[in-house]
Amino acid sequence: MNLALPSVRQEAWRWSDLSGLEAIADAPRGAVEALDPSAFFLDLGGPRLVFIDGVFDAASSDPQGVTIGPVDAATDHPLGRAATGTGWTLSLGTDHATSGPVEIVHVATGGANHLPGRIALAADAQASIVETFLGIGWTNRLTHIDLAPAARLMRSVRLLQREGFVSLRDEAEIGQAASLVTIVLGAGEAGSRIDAALNLSGESAFAEMGGTLLCRGDQRQEAAVVLRHAAENGASRQTWRAVAADRATASLAARVEVARGAQKTDGEQSLRGLLLKRTATVNLKPELEIFADDVKCAHGATVGELDRNALFYLQSRGIPPAQAEALLTRAFVADALDRIGEEKVREAFVKDADAWLDGEGVSGGSAT
Amino acid sequence: MLKIENLHAEVDGKPILKGLTLAINPGEIHAIMGPNGAGKSTLAYTLGGRPGYDVTGGSVDFAGQDLLEMEPHERAAAGLFLGFQYPVEIPGVSNVQFLREALNSQRRNRGEAPLSGGEFLKVARAQADAMGMDMDMLKRPVNVGFSGGEKKRNEMVQMGIIDPRLAILDETDSGLDIDALRVVGEGINRIMRTPDKAVLLITHYQRLLDYVQPDFVHVLSAGRIVRSGGKELALELEREGYGALAA
Ligand SMILES: Nc1ncnc2c1ncn2[C@@H]1O[C@H](COP(=O)(O)OP(=O)(O)OP(=O)(O)O)[C@@H](O)[C@H]1O
Ligand SMILES: [Mg+2]
Repeated sequence: MNLALPSVRQEAWRWSDLSGLEAIADAPRGAVEALDPSAFFLDLGGPRLVFIDGVFDAASSDPQGVTIGPVDAATDHPLGRAATGTGWTLSLGTDHATSGPVEIVHVATGGANHLPGRIALAADAQASIVETFLGIGWTNRLTHIDLAPAARLMRSVRLLQREGFVSLRDEAEIGQAASLVTIVLGAGEAGSRIDAALNLSGESAFAEMGGTLLCRGDQRQEAAVVLRHAAENGASRQTWRAVAADRATASLAARVEVARGAQKTDGEQSLRGLLLKRTATVNLKPELEIFADDVKCAHGATVGELDRNALFYLQSRGIPPAQAEALLTRAFVADALDRIGEEKVREAFVKDADAWLDGEGVSGGSAT
Repeated sequence: MLKIENLHAEVDGKPILKGLTLAINPGEIHAIMGPNGAGKSTLAYTLGGRPGYDVTGGSVDFAGQDLLEMEPHERAAAGLFLGFQYPVEIPGVSNVQFLREALNSQRRNRGEAPLSGGEFLKVARAQADAMGMDMDMLKRPVNVGFSGGEKKRNEMVQMGIIDPRLAILDETDSGLDIDALRVVGEGINRIMRTPDKAVLLITHYQRLLDYVQPDFVHVLSAGRIVRSGGKELALELEREGYGALAA
């Protein structure tokens, strides 16, 4: 495997540790116990797709309007560019919608797998996509998103891989009055890099990207999002919550760029980190780069520990320490997951986060 | 029920309790009064097992168990309830969620079956009604945005739901208006005035003691009980202040 991986000397990768990636990529496939991907479908009535090691599994899928074939997506992103060739495409015509949310389950069994995806929504089209990542190995994804005027896309992504590394690269063009909301939950044991470049190219466009990264052991997870306002009247939200236990590292870099002509931009960033142990690390980097003069951009970034007074208060009422910590941590991450629109999806994600908090480990498949 | 012998405790390395002895039997209500900084809240926190409150000497027996050996949540499950002088705000956690988890944790600890959501709500509603607290408030995050008096009322709702054997109430009367004081006083009597329960009331004022008549009144000063008497002692203190005690 020969990949020119980015180095930590590059600013955008300074919190990353990709040193183990080659070894993960060189490990053999099939090193995971039988894992039933259908157990991770939420029965939302829409198309269902299963990819095993990046290969479409027709037998356990019902793709409906989602097509499998060469994907029209190119990037110079150092990881994303490895994900080319055959992938999935969801293309909706004007005013169309899928029969229900699209559910995609990605199962990795070891080694490396790369897969591109493309979502193209014509004017006024609407879609929701739920993606779940399971198994072990290096899972690498490039997702291209094109939203025509007034199109709306809700994406919910949960990372539940048991081991290895998941890298996601999203690139989006958001047209006039279109809306893109992406919420990510990292509740597995694998490392991760969630990387996005979102361009609000039409007037009055809306973009939201955020979520919750739960990290423990020696795990490292990070999100690096660049959100660019290129037209007037746009609004954007980034609500991220990072929780780090043990010796884990969670990093959030969220950047908002407001181009010269993008007046009346309304941007909001809220990055918050929670250290469950003093040996853990949370890195936060909120960035604003504003070239227009009439904009409203609010940002907050704080790292803290659980409130000791609150912990004692809970314990004094009979709640054991581990449960008290879980209760407060759940409250800490709640507002990031609250942004998921569909109730069933939100409930499933909250349940995954709860399982992590209760220390039950991951449901995403165990290594043999 | 509670037997405190020669208790010494430090906060951040500073000795605060300096040989405190006190025995409380089932069916009794004891009031502790004393000047600011005497160590009243320190006594309450030490009995509750708050981290940072280190016992350096003495013993505490609670219904035959060594209280000081127990974790805070185990003390609660054993029947100890601490009413806080300053109840804590917990954003993002509703009172209902908090109290159901608290009650069921205690029940599990005692080997009892947990209450279902419906069963719990019935208990919670009855207690909230009795304290004149709106159910909507119970659905809000714990103490967030509550007024000082509402927080104290909430402590009493919690006490009613948890139904402890021994309640240590640290200035539950401060911050209450005249009507709330009566409601809280009646609540303490209703929940705790039974032959098998006991109360340790920490207060600065006689007013609460008009509603909740103490069997014993103690004066805590500089980390020790310096005087004990019946309920008439509270009236004497109200008249004469603590200064006279020093003499
Ligand atoms: N963390 C701490 N470090 C050092 N001293 C402390 C600490 N916490 C409390 N103290 C001191 O302990 C003493 C007793 O405080 P405590 O709160 O028990 O008094 P109290 O009798 O409850 O007073 P009040 O009537 O004002 O509520 C005070 O002198 C206080 O300053
Ligand atoms: Mg006090």
